[in-house]
Amino acid sequence: MERSPAFYVWVSILVAVAGLALYAILMSLIYSLEVFEFSIHVIWVTMVSNYVFLVVSSTGLCIVTSLGHVFGMERYELIGRRGVFLALITIIFGMISIGAHLGHPERAMIFNLLTPNFYSAMWWMGALYTLYIVFIGIEYWLLARNDLNERSEQVEGLGKTIYGLLAIKKLDNSRLNAVLKDHKLLQFVGAAALISGLSAHNTLGALFGHIEARPLWHGSYYPIYFLLSASFCGYAWLLAVSIATYKIKKENIPEDYRSLIFEMAQVLALLLSAGLLFTAYKLGFGLFTPEKVKPIMLFLKGPFSQAFWLFEIAIGTILPIPILLWATKQKNIIGVLIASVMVLVGVYVMRYDFVVAAQVYPVIKNGLPSYLPTFMEVIFIGGVLGALFLTYVLGDKFLPLKEERHH
Amino acid sequence: MNNAAKKIGRRHFLKLLAGAYGYATLGSPGFVSAQTQRYGKLADTTRCIGCKRCMSACKRWNKLEVERNELVSDRETDLSSQNWVVVNLRADAKNLTQRIYEHWACQHCIQPACAGVCPVKAITKLPMGNVVINEKKCIGCRYCYQACPYKVPRFDFEKRITRKCHLCYDRIPLLNYMKPACVEACPVEALSFGYKHEIILEAKKRIYKERNARYILGLKEAGGTDMLTILPTQPENLGLIVAPQKMINHNLDKLRITGAGFMGASALAGLMYTYATLTQGKEKKNRDSSD
Repeated sequence: MERSPAFYVWVSILVAVAGLALYAILMSLIYSLEVFEFSIHVIWVTMVSNYVFLVVSSTGLCIVTSLGHVFGMERYELIGRRGVFLALITIIFGMISIGAHLGHPERAMIFNLLTPNFYSAMWWMGALYTLYIVFIGIEYWLLARNDLNERSEQVEGLGKTIYGLLAIKKLDNSRLNAVLKDHKLLQFVGAAALISGLSAHNTLGALFGHIEARPLWHGSYYPIYFLLSASFCGYAWLLAVSIATYKIKKENIPEDYRSLIFEMAQVLALLLSAGLLFTAYKLGFGLFTPEKVKPIMLFLKGPFSQAFWLFEIAIGTILPIPILLWATKQKNIIGVLIASVMVLVGVYVMRYDFVVAAQVYPVIKNGLPSYLPTFMEVIFIGGVLGALFLTYVLGDKFLPLKEERHH
Repeated sequence: MNNAAKKIGRRHFLKLLAGAYGYATLGSPGFVSAQTQRYGKLADTTRCIGCKRCMSACKRWNKLEVERNELVSDRETDLSSQNWVVVNLRADAKNLTQRIYEHWACQHCIQPACAGVCPVKAITKLPMGNVVINEKKCIGCRYCYQACPYKVPRFDFEKRITRKCHLCYDRIPLLNYMKPACVEACPVEALSFGYKHEIILEAKKRIYKERNARYILGLKEAGGTDMLTILPTQPENLGLIVAPQKMINHNLDKLRITGAGFMGASALAGLMYTYATLTQGKEKKNRDSSD
């Protein structure tokens, strides 16, 4: 395996950033959750919005990759391994993000099993996401197993043992091997991951939608919109991460993947326009529903207006559409990269606004709101994202993620 | 009187029966038990003198921390993990000369939204009427705070759980039917405690008899609450949070929202299938050209 200095620089920077999150978690465990200095009124903050962003991304990635091995679109099979690996790590770091936000995550594990409340969307979300993690993990393993086997034969020493263990070499000589190599099993597991992912995602939207006391969240709009935003988020992640990886490693993009990139860019533009329609519906519907007018006005010309108009609408939705269409026409890869990063930034801000703005109204009166993420929160969020990218960089180095045809 | 209009046809009766069955299965499980004899607390803001003895008694009984100067009269205090009951001076926005002390705590809803959303059933509505958080079970997710129309359950950063008034469930049945600590401490009988139906009658009597008492908060708000507050004016004039006059977070509403989401998910899966089938030709062309 080649050793490049750039790789070590990247890894050490990311380790340092991830260390920050560890520091924040340790401090919160040693002292109290107060180190994050949450406002007593805005009690779900960046950790929740970060969680929502990451799990939305994971579901989106699952949606995009399942076009390949569930719906049988062969060209999408190219992105299978990278997409599923990204889906797996985004959901895991999303869970870490929410775990640090919970007061007692250890109790959550026990009492979710012992005394479930089937009327609570949060319970369903936890249960379905646990299922989803299992399925998506198996899906990646099935996709990568052959390559892991091959790698175990190419390397020597410790690497050989680890790859052998990861591929569970013992199964090679068993009867199961034929089943594992069958495309049908992959299709079945992929479908299970997609169904559990979509259901879990729906309950995540419903978790907010059920809350009648928060007019902005209440209703069936968000469960549906979350699914749409998951789709464009998934496309944006895949485009941004894979193109950035090829560019940073200075490798050439395979020709068949290149043509898929431009097709995905077009689909992303289409999904973004659908998203724009949804946003227009939200604003229009909100302005004609008496209890929603005030929270909607927070976005239109209140304290969230900058984030809404500049990040959500301009950077996140409107500007990427012409850039994507132009880049597809000119066959410009960098254009696609820039547009997808813009979409991701827009979606991140959108999640933050969505979580915080609903809590600001109707509780905080008189001169709202002065809420901004605190230093420790920023450290934590930065650290979690750093750890996510660190895992990706390591995964890209040691695990099979490349866009090659799956046999 | 037109009797024909009142007559229920067979089909209508069956519809009603099906509806009732659906309501019984989907409606919150506490609905039936809530109808049995419960206790209720009545706070009369027209009598309260703002001495904050209720606050201090609450803190003493529940072993809560006292902050400096917190119990000084007229000092604005907010509900928190250490303040389960607060007394604040409020002015009527429409008549500024009218000022009252508002005794504010958990309203103990008949159909508590917090209990409905708690993922681990840490919140229960006791048959006596108290809405109680099991502090050994709470996972600290704060979902109850979001769901509560009055924003009562507050997060304790030290203990990492949500805490709130439990209407002294540990006093009422055990210790010879003692009243809650706050009610016992009130020197002017602004707080009273008793069976819910008696409390409602008492509140209505005061509205009828006393010139200042004009509004009973808690009869209809959030589907009815077991704490009633007598106000001299409408709650919105006093700057209180106004809950809708219907049950909050009904399970049928939850089902509607989740169902809509599942329909959206099915539509998305359908779109993905359409995308796959529509572009099948392209796939074949690619394969042929590569061959």
